[in-house]
Amino acid sequence: MRVASIDVRLERRLAVWRGTALLVTSGSLLLALVVGGIFLKLTGHPPLDVYRELAKTAYFNWYGFTDTLGASTPLVLTGLAAAVGFKMNLYNIGAEGQLFLGGIASAWAGIAIVPGMPGPLAVLTVMFAGALGGAAWAFIPALTRAYFNTSEIVTTLMFNFIGLYLMQYLIQGSYSYWRDPKIVGFPQGKEIVDAARLPHWNFPADSMFGIAFPPGRTQVHLGLAFGVIAALGLWVLIERTRFGYGVRVTGDSPAAARYAGISIRGSIIVVMLISGALAGLAGAGIVAGQGYKLDPGGLAVALGYTGIVVAALARSNPFAVVVVAVLLGGLRTGADNMQSAPDNLKIPVAIAGMLEGAVLICALGGELFRTHRISVRRVPSNSDREEHLSGAVGVGVSP
Amino acid sequence: MIGSFASFLATSGINTNVWVVGLASAVSFAMPILFAAVGEILCERSGIVNLGVEGMLLCGVVAAFLAYDASDSAALSMVCGLLAAGALALVHAFLCITLRSNQTVSGLALVIFGAGVSNFVGEPVEGKQIEAAFTDLRIPGLHDLPVVGPVLFHQNVLVYVSVLVVISVAFYINRTRPGLALRAVGESPATADAQGISVSKVRYAHVVIGGMFAGLGGAYIVLVDGPAWNQENTTGGIGWIALALVVFASWRPGRVMFGAIAFGFALRANFTLQGAQITWFPAEVLRMMPYVLTVVMLIAVSITDVGNKLGAPAALGRPFVRDER
Repeated sequence: MRVASIDVRLERRLAVWRGTALLVTSGSLLLALVVGGIFLKLTGHPPLDVYRELAKTAYFNWYGFTDTLGASTPLVLTGLAAAVGFKMNLYNIGAEGQLFLGGIASAWAGIAIVPGMPGPLAVLTVMFAGALGGAAWAFIPALTRAYFNTSEIVTTLMFNFIGLYLMQYLIQGSYSYWRDPKIVGFPQGKEIVDAARLPHWNFPADSMFGIAFPPGRTQVHLGLAFGVIAALGLWVLIERTRFGYGVRVTGDSPAAARYAGISIRGSIIVVMLISGALAGLAGAGIVAGQGYKLDPGGLAVALGYTGIVVAALARSNPFAVVVVAVLLGGLRTGADNMQSAPDNLKIPVAIAGMLEGAVLICALGGELFRTHRISVRRVPSNSDREEHLSGAVGVGVSP
Repeated sequence: MIGSFASFLATSGINTNVWVVGLASAVSFAMPILFAAVGEILCERSGIVNLGVEGMLLCGVVAAFLAYDASDSAALSMVCGLLAAGALALVHAFLCITLRSNQTVSGLALVIFGAGVSNFVGEPVEGKQIEAAFTDLRIPGLHDLPVVGPVLFHQNVLVYVSVLVVISVAFYINRTRPGLALRAVGESPATADAQGISVSKVRYAHVVIGGMFAGLGGAYIVLVDGPAWNQENTTGGIGWIALALVVFASWRPGRVMFGAIAFGFALRANFTLQGAQITWFPAEVLRMMPYVLTVVMLIAVSITDVGNKLGAPAALGRPFVRDER
């Protein structure tokens, strides 16, 4: 048999091996690092040294790692916010704005209603207010998506800008309730009361498990626990309840859901509100755990958009979201820490955003190889063609 | 219509000049949105949604900025803007057409990657100011007409080019063979395929060309406005507004033009009202306006869209796979 040409096509895998997902994810991470490396090389930075330093400052040092956990706390929540939408093919890319509103609402609660409350109740109230604020910001996009089929992608995104300017108005543009009237220079937010602040974890003074920790306070605060509990709660809701079953069916096949009598409108609204509440919780965590006031600069750092990357890489699995959030949180911490690195390793902070985008692109492309495999066939030359023709006709039919 | 508007202004005792200047700058500000939206129409007419307009715009801006900064050549700057945005669009095309990826997520990935890359390579020139390359041209005999003169006949050359662009794209889509192939692929790829049209070639071509239009919009921002490069606020979300505008304009280039100018006016409202010495409106509230307008418009359009009569291409967002049909 003489080979005339080689026919390459994609075939659906009959069974998807679980490991393939991990393999594809790590492969896309690696490819993204290569893409980032090309840009680093072009701008005159040594890629390998940069990556080594980045990993060292973000993961392999006690201060760096706890900073990473702090940075990933809001990402866990915004990642979950995106993931719950993905479950039913809803794209809430408004986590950014919902996070701002969560910040606004929790700061208000922290100044106005919490004083006088005992510690745990104050913390819970502030966090609850944040979740409520985030959900409220998702309400209009949720309603219009459910009833008029308005693209939630564009509406939630527009609400990000509206939320951003609202937040700037409250602090920089007016003497609102949120702004501290005592500070005359650069406008700043009023601080929330002490009782409402999320406690931070301190390194143990003595060595623990035989590890000698450095002294001092860490960036790890109670918000991380809220994130992990939310992940657990979301998993139970989606995988173990009747409502979650409806959501999953709707995501796979809206028609099937309709025949089964599942309220698609109801699911859309509830899922969007949960998504908004999770993003709002992220904002509340920043206000109550880091800045202790409404600070537009500290909230508007693209945490909502990164949440989409987190959810996509985690394939919407709540537990994977936690892991991926820590990974990408480290990227942010590493990029920040690199600012104090020696000159040849000093790279723009935007390396984090660029790598996030590259990872997402690569993972998305890799998705096909999880479900499909490449088959390479030799197409026989003319002399053998007759007998293969019948086989070739079959190609038109789905395999 | 503009005439009666002008006479209304003249009789109402408002400083007409300020509003005319506002309208004129609205036309200029509309151009990047217009170019990006026309590009997105070409792309979506082939059946591919590209949500990455904002990312492509940003890449176009930074590439045009760096090229202009280095060479002082407007032509080279424009070419670089086009190529950078086109390259990003090519990534989208490869993901969505060859690898059959989720078009929504791919578009979002483009925005995140485009923003990251533009901030990364733009960091060394942060805050640097360049001079606008295209200044306003006066059309002889017409530019001193009241109102219409400054608004329509005292603009930079790219504004006049944009009219040609809109007309040619509309002609291309509706009156040419390749345009027919484009519509066929967007409406019913299987039929187009049976006709011997290569669905993936048509889609690749229009996704990339659509991206280049966004790049042109990016280059416009650099070459006409001559802004200081600012990582955060260069495009200010106009890529997303362009996306909404495509829906609003029912995927037709002619309609997009009017929508873009309306948004240009909303984006400039801040400065126009300042010029008119109307200051009781907070600047932040005015800055929200274009986005509020987009939401309201989109909701209004979807409420009235009974039975999907808006004219979205039938195969929009669906990958075409011959083997698995």
